Amino acid sequence: MFRYLPLVVKNCWRNRRRTTLTIISIGASLCLLGVLMAIYHAFYFSDPPPEQALRLVTRNRVSLTFQMPQAYREQIKQIPGVREVMISQWFGGTYKDRRPENMFARFASEPDRLFTIHGEMRVPENQKKAFQRERSACLVGKALADKYGWKLGDRITIVGDIFPLNLELTLRAIYEADLNNETLYFNREYLEESLSERRRGNAGTFNILADSPESVPRIAAAVDTKFRNSSAAETKTEAEQAFQLGFISAMGNVKLFLLSICGAVTFTIMLVSANTMAMSVRERVREVGVLRTLGFTPAAIMGMILGEAVAISIIGGVIGCGLASLLCGVVRSAPAFILQLKTLSITPPVAAACIGVAAFIGLVSSAVPAWSASRTPIVEALRASD
Amino acid sequence: MTTEETVIQARALTKEFVRDEFHVIALQDVDIDIHKGEFVALMGPSGSGKSTLLHLIAAMDYATGGEIRVLGENLRAMSDGEIARWRNHNVGFIFQQFNLIPVLTALENVELPLKLTNLNKQERNDHATTALKLVGLGDRLGHFPRQLSGGQEQRVAIARAIVTDPALILADEPTGNLDAASAQEVLSILSRLNKEYGKTIVMVTHDAHAARSATKVRHLEKGALLPEGQLPAD
Ligand SMILES: Nc1ncnc2c1ncn2[C@@H]1O[C@H](COP(=O)(O)OP(=O)(O)OP(=O)(O)O)[C@@H](O)[C@H]1O
Ligand SMILES: [Mg+2]
Repeated sequence: MFRYLPLVVKNCWRNRRRTTLTIISIGASLCLLGVLMAIYHAFYFSDPPPEQALRLVTRNRVSLTFQMPQAYREQIKQIPGVREVMISQWFGGTYKDRRPENMFARFASEPDRLFTIHGEMRVPENQKKAFQRERSACLVGKALADKYGWKLGDRITIVGDIFPLNLELTLRAIYEADLNNETLYFNREYLEESLSERRRGNAGTFNILADSPESVPRIAAAVDTKFRNSSAAETKTEAEQAFQLGFISAMGNVKLFLLSICGAVTFTIMLVSANTMAMSVRERVREVGVLRTLGFTPAAIMGMILGEAVAISIIGGVIGCGLASLLCGVVRSAPAFILQLKTLSITPPVAAACIGVAAFIGLVSSAVPAWSASRTPIVEALRASD
Repeated sequence: MTTEETVIQARALTKEFVRDEFHVIALQDVDIDIHKGEFVALMGPSGSGKSTLLHLIAAMDYATGGEIRVLGENLRAMSDGEIARWRNHNVGFIFQQFNLIPVLTALENVELPLKLTNLNKQERNDHATTALKLVGLGDRLGHFPRQLSGGQEQRVAIARAIVTDPALILADEPTGNLDAASAQEVLSILSRLNKEYGKTIVMVTHDAHAARSATKVRHLEKGALLPEGQLPAD
């Protein structure tokens, strides 16, 4: 089979412009496909980053917008394997205006527990103390501080929407972390004391730190069992990674969406590629007749044509993977709440899948022309004009 | 006697093309015996079935009636794979339009049939070089078809046809696209192959001058082979 390789390679290069265009179009589509597959892989197959692997989130079973009694915290703390539990409350609100670039996550949390739960945060000791000491202090990620040019001591005003108050915060600490650098945390006490009696004492979510990744599923089950049939609120507990993905799927069936785009991209490029291959084979029917006259079998000829198509597609696939890698870099540096997107990359399995899809496209798109050319009666093939 | 060994033997060989409601009888009850070492020129007007007969001899197409044995093989009894192999080993075919592969050099074109043998790269190279030297193109190994003249291209095609050392060479108007001088070169190479290497050759030609290189001339008319020595009426 390798004996035919030089001929296969030379045939690829026969019509340079067409081959180049084919490679580019396959490359571009596979770049898109690669990024989508990387996202799919990151969402549904990848292990969470190490700091996330130990964390769980408990929320009201009905919906995220419903709260739970804060007293649950002590009950959860009792469950074996739970190291720490922190109340966390999504504040919402607006900073400056409602434009999307001024949107970032703001959480009311418990400063004396926050650094235990988020062990990955790097904060100078004196800033930690300053943040924990003051009611109206806030802690922000380095990337966020850089974006707005905030310095320690700056005042930050967040206008409330879900909660009827405006936060007047003072920046007391800046954290650095490898993945998420774009969140603002402030003291839950500040929020509580400005609420009416009736609304106090509730928690949006409980963030749990487990003692080992292995206890995570057990803790999740134990928490939900504990509050089953509770009159106050039933809970739903999941690993933080799953919780964040749940957030995404609230926007729609992300899995189906990703898969259907992947399918559409593959199908389209298959059609384009099939058309090109048909054209390129049609021009060579006469040569097929010559090869058969020399004693080449239909199978060998079919193999050469398929080999050519697969070679072209794989080159396109490799280029596509390279481009997808660059694109993943762009996604990584974009602001996002989903930790998985912060590490988005073309991992070896994704690259393998990408190149596999490319090979498949080459094979399928050339199967029909290769078959019919190799089975054309010799005499008929020789009569074909160039 | 071995010199009388029959290379091609056809009996009542018939080929009918059927396309939609049109039936064309390209060959009708052709009987022919071609012996080892003969150089037969096949002449006849356009459409008389010359190419068709050549294709049947090379098993590139199937007869619709009659029998044909080539080099002792009953072609109709062989599978496609066997025929491909058989043709590779035993038949060299030369076309009017040369039919070289444009992306391959002269040497690579000539080497092509050897890819189907179990010779290694070095041996294939040596054989192909030898064949090209034999047709006087030892200095054009690396040239692509478009860098060669028509006569040179046809000589490369001859080298390709003889590289597997086949017993039988079939040529369909090999000089049809060439000027007189190039045609003469091609004819003298074929003559040499016949005389010095003992190749059996069947050559289709329109050209009476070309036919003179052959040892025997046969005429086809409307699909029928005229008796030996008989010329067409007009
Ligand atoms: N594939 C085919 N389908 C239908 N008819 C065919 C086919 N091939 C040949 N014929 C017909 O068979 C007859 C003989 O054709 P053939 O090509 O053998 O003639 P030829 O003697 O080689 O002519 P020329 O000198 O023009 O090459 C012609 O009438 C031709 O039209
Ligand atoms: Mg003809």
